[in-house]
Amino acid sequence: MQHAPMSIDQVLMVIALSCYVVGALILILYFFSREEWQKNLGAPLVVAGCVAQFAQLIARFELTGIWPLLNLYGSLSLFSAMSVAIFSAFAFRYRLWFAGGFVVALAAIFLAYGNTWNEGTLPPVPSLQSYWAKIHVPIVVTSYAAFLVASVLGALYLIKYYGERLTAGRAQTLRAATPEGTSVAFTVREDASVRVKSDTPAIDAAVQAGSPTAAWLSSLPSLAQLDVMIYRVVAVGLPLLTIGIITGAWWAKEAWGAYWQWDPKETAALTLWIFYAMYMHLHTRNAWRGPRSAWLAVIGLPLMTFVYLGVNVVIGNHSLHSYKT
Amino acid sequence: MTAVARDFVRTFSNVLFAVSLFAIWAVLTLLGVVIDQNQDPQEYFGAYPVPLARAILRLGFDNVYHSPWYIGIIGLILLSLTVCTFKRVIPARLPPLRPVKVDKIPLNASFEVAGVESSVRQRVEAFFARHGWQVRKRTFDGTEWTFADRHNWARRGVLVAHVGFVIIAAGTTIYWARGFAGETAILTGQTVTPSQTSASLTLHDFNYRIQPIATKSGIVYQPIDYVSHVTAIGRDGIPHRATIRVNHPIDVDGTFFYQASYGFAMRFTVTHDGVPVADLSSRQLEEGQGLSLPQSARSVQYAQFVPTIDKLTGMPSADPRINRPGVVLNVFDGDQPLGTTLLPLGQRLDLGQGFSIVPRQYTLYSGIQYRYDPGVPLVGIGAFVLLAGLCISLYLLPARLFVQVSPGPAGCTVGVAAMTVKGYEMFEQPFSELIEEMKKGE
Ligand code: HEM
Repeated sequence: MQHAPMSIDQVLMVIALSCYVVGALILILYFFSREEWQKNLGAPLVVAGCVAQFAQLIARFELTGIWPLLNLYGSLSLFSAMSVAIFSAFAFRYRLWFAGGFVVALAAIFLAYGNTWNEGTLPPVPSLQSYWAKIHVPIVVTSYAAFLVASVLGALYLIKYYGERLTAGRAQTLRAATPEGTSVAFTVREDASVRVKSDTPAIDAAVQAGSPTAAWLSSLPSLAQLDVMIYRVVAVGLPLLTIGIITGAWWAKEAWGAYWQWDPKETAALTLWIFYAMYMHLHTRNAWRGPRSAWLAVIGLPLMTFVYLGVNVVIGNHSLHSYKT
Repeated sequence: MTAVARDFVRTFSNVLFAVSLFAIWAVLTLLGVVIDQNQDPQEYFGAYPVPLARAILRLGFDNVYHSPWYIGIIGLILLSLTVCTFKRVIPARLPPLRPVKVDKIPLNASFEVAGVESSVRQRVEAFFARHGWQVRKRTFDGTEWTFADRHNWARRGVLVAHVGFVIIAAGTTIYWARGFAGETAILTGQTVTPSQTSASLTLHDFNYRIQPIATKSGIVYQPIDYVSHVTAIGRDGIPHRATIRVNHPIDVDGTFFYQASYGFAMRFTVTHDGVPVADLSSRQLEEGQGLSLPQSARSVQYAQFVPTIDKLTGMPSADPRINRPGVVLNVFDGDQPLGTTLLPLGQRLDLGQGFSIVPRQYTLYSGIQYRYDPGVPLVGIGAFVLLAGLCISLYLLPARLFVQVSPGPAGCTVGVAAMTVKGYEMFEQPFSELIEEMKKGE
């Protein structure tokens, strides 16, 4: 049997997936062994995969003339590209490449799953023929991508946090910096250089005692830094989700007559919005910053996946937003 | 204030209480995602075990978003938001300038500087002013304090977000109080004045375009366009020709008309003992409507239009384009269904008791949705206010520095403490950099 030659977008998709799979494996290796070459190889591969993904979406648009994000295949493709892009931006800024393997592995899984929804090219149904499609979909998908990154950082926080507790060998609840509680603050005194006091004293002590696990744990950013990073990623996702819901409502008003119809997809997005609004409010409380908000960030991943895929694929046939035809 | 009022204020101004309300709101919202909404009761009994289905119906979870629970929780959230804003957010976010115990604040630093107190104080103030901090001085009990604020105005971001939420709620309430919505089917050539509106619409024609496309899982008949050509007359009495298509509604006196659906009205010839029953034969039925036969318990329902009957199987084809059209008819005797038939146009069906029916001619109708919602501008403004507040709160970190200069061994001791609206962790790095720079400048 003779196979038709692959089109440029298919070639780019294969390149992206391969870069992600290999890049994720190398970066996961880097997570555990921290050899510089692993980062130097893994990070460019991941960035190359991400570029190939955007090129793939553009190529598809050029080849078909149809906005490529109107089905689950295109939307998941952008989702995984955005997850990698947002993560890479944070990785460059905060030197986070050691965590990249997990984000990229998740992105690759979502991308591979998205490929199973590739039905070829379908022109959009009337309700999707709107410039809002070009605005609303990328914004919502990018917000979901931010929540994915936040959940991976949340998991890292919990690894370090429970690592500290295990190392300390006692069930002591670490509290984030509070005026009343244990302090993670630093104090600059005369002649002392500025330093940030460690928030994992047990791990530090174990490092001094030569524990390799503790040495590994201490190579993760401090709990305070991880908490701030999670907050910052959610602070990307929540406003984007808000804009996504607003643009969606605007579009719905044009297409269906009402800006809000209590359609499952709308209400699911609202659930996710309420969830992250809860995160933001709890994060203003001293007692809730730290492990509790990290748990929320982690729980955000299954919730986001349900909102994104569960509603489309499982309950989608009752939704105006269903990708099923 | 009575004890009850105090308890009320204490509870409703507690953020954890507010967040618990959010959690209930999220769970109720999710319930409406998982449980199919607004279905017939039998659907729930079919889909869930009987006790669960009964619970869903009794608790109103089949229409959760309009249930007392849902409206109640949003009411409580608004109440909590209002109480919290006045009792907690404003005092916490807009604190007056007051002295603190510098070394009791987790983010603090102190260092020695040469020079007399007044000149050190001046240098410190100049340093902050150079770095864009708003400097203010106060004296408390004879002690001079310098306060430096960054992004002080942004402390109001939370208030802006909260006000946005309230505006959205107000906009939605306006729709409940004064808006209306509905759907109407207009047959080609017909004129309708939808109830509550001042507009009359005449449908000249309705067109739809469907394109068969080969996909990996077979042929998909993709709808491409639905278009109604109408003449609309509003309050001014002047007829306007207009086109309504999906995503392109028309506005008549503030009411918007949307292309929503389409269908096929049918004219049937009903005969009794070979003689046409004039009254029934003159009617046009929309899908789902029926005819009761005179002096008989029998009735016939026009269930569905079938655009194409497959030649080989004689069954409805997936092709929605009109080729060999037919209709699906349900026949009843009283409440008892007697049967269902797929009948090509022009063919006769014997209904018993001397009656027979022939589907004669179809007419396209356009399903038009209409809506008057005077709350939309307010909801739109609220959404943008909320978004603005969210961005101000999330991207700017208002911080206040408390600076005290006191005589020290090398001249003066400068003590600096920092507080932000988001705790201390977020400001550790900038604070350490600031202090380093201050020390270098000395
Ligand atoms: C039950 C209703 C609500 C209550 C009682 C409430 C209360 C609060 C409180 C007490 C704070 C912290 C202020 C501080 O510690 O200085 C806060 C922060 C905030 N609230 Fe609300 N809020 C409610 C609803 C909302 C809603 C619906 C939004 C919509 C976006 C919202 C957006 C925000 C934002 C953006 C912040 C700032 C978060 C940060 O700085 O990290 N709130 N709210």
